[in-house]
Amino acid sequence: MRFHLIDRIESWTPHRHIAARKVTSVDEDLWQPVGAGPVLPFGLALEALCQSATWLVMLSTDHRLRAALLAVHEATAHREIVPGDVLRMDATVESMNDEAALVDGTVTVDGETVLEARGILCALVANERLDDPADTARMAHQLQGGGPVR
Amino acid sequence: MTTSVLLPSFDRLVELVPGERAVAVRNVPGTLPVFATHFPRHPVLPGVLLLESMTALAKAAAGDGGSWRLRAVRGVRFKHFVGPGDQVEITVDVTGRGERLTELRAVAKAGGRVVATARTLALEPVRDPWEGTA
Repeated sequence: MRFHLIDRIESWTPHRHIAARKVTSVDEDLWQPVGAGPVLPFGLALEALCQSATWLVMLSTDHRLRAALLAVHEATAHREIVPGDVLRMDATVESMNDEAALVDGTVTVDGETVLEARGILCALVANERLDDPADTARMAHQLQGGGPVR
Repeated sequence: MTTSVLLPSFDRLVELVPGERAVAVRNVPGTLPVFATHFPRHPVLPGVLLLESMTALAKAAAGDGGSWRLRAVRGVRFKHFVGPGDQVEITVDVTGRGERLTELRAVAKAGGRVVATARTLALEPVRDPWEGTA
């Protein structure tokens, strides 16, 4: 599985806020059978929010830095996420410097909050240590609705 | 396809006292598909997958057949990267039982050092409707 849990960046304000979305499908291999049917695990909904935050960090730093999760003060789920849901992640930076970022955020489906998190603390690390900068640039282009990279 | 191949939860149950505690081991082989993208130059097990392993074990420890959902987490900390070749030992202890929620704390260790902790994993029975807040 590609561990990319956002499909599109809808808007962003440097060092401040990002809105991103993920469409879900029964064809994905990330569902857990619970009760009446498959649901998205709590941790993956939280990860979608964290990945939105890391893209905000990357876009805000010209792909120089990315976020590594250090801590979560509190996260709460309000209902299950099921195949077919379209997730919208809103992440807001509460504070940020070159070493760390503190983020709050929500995941909503059709305007209903399905997960909220406060105090997501991330260490900011050099992106080139983790990924090829050219691949990061291609992904950033794709997530922002760009066509094929020439 | 609605199977979960991403979340093996844990590989071996070491100890289980239903309603009280559980200990399990999760191995982290380099063959995990997640390492292709997390990250291409430095494979790291995503912290949220450790959290899911803690949750799976917490559901077993909470008893009542394990039919629980994770409603909330508090005080989660990731202290060290976990990567290929690591063997992670996870311990969960029930810390409280309320009318709706059962709470547990969790500790994950690799190579004898603590790699992640969760002060509270709040579980509720799957049969309960989604109402109120945790």
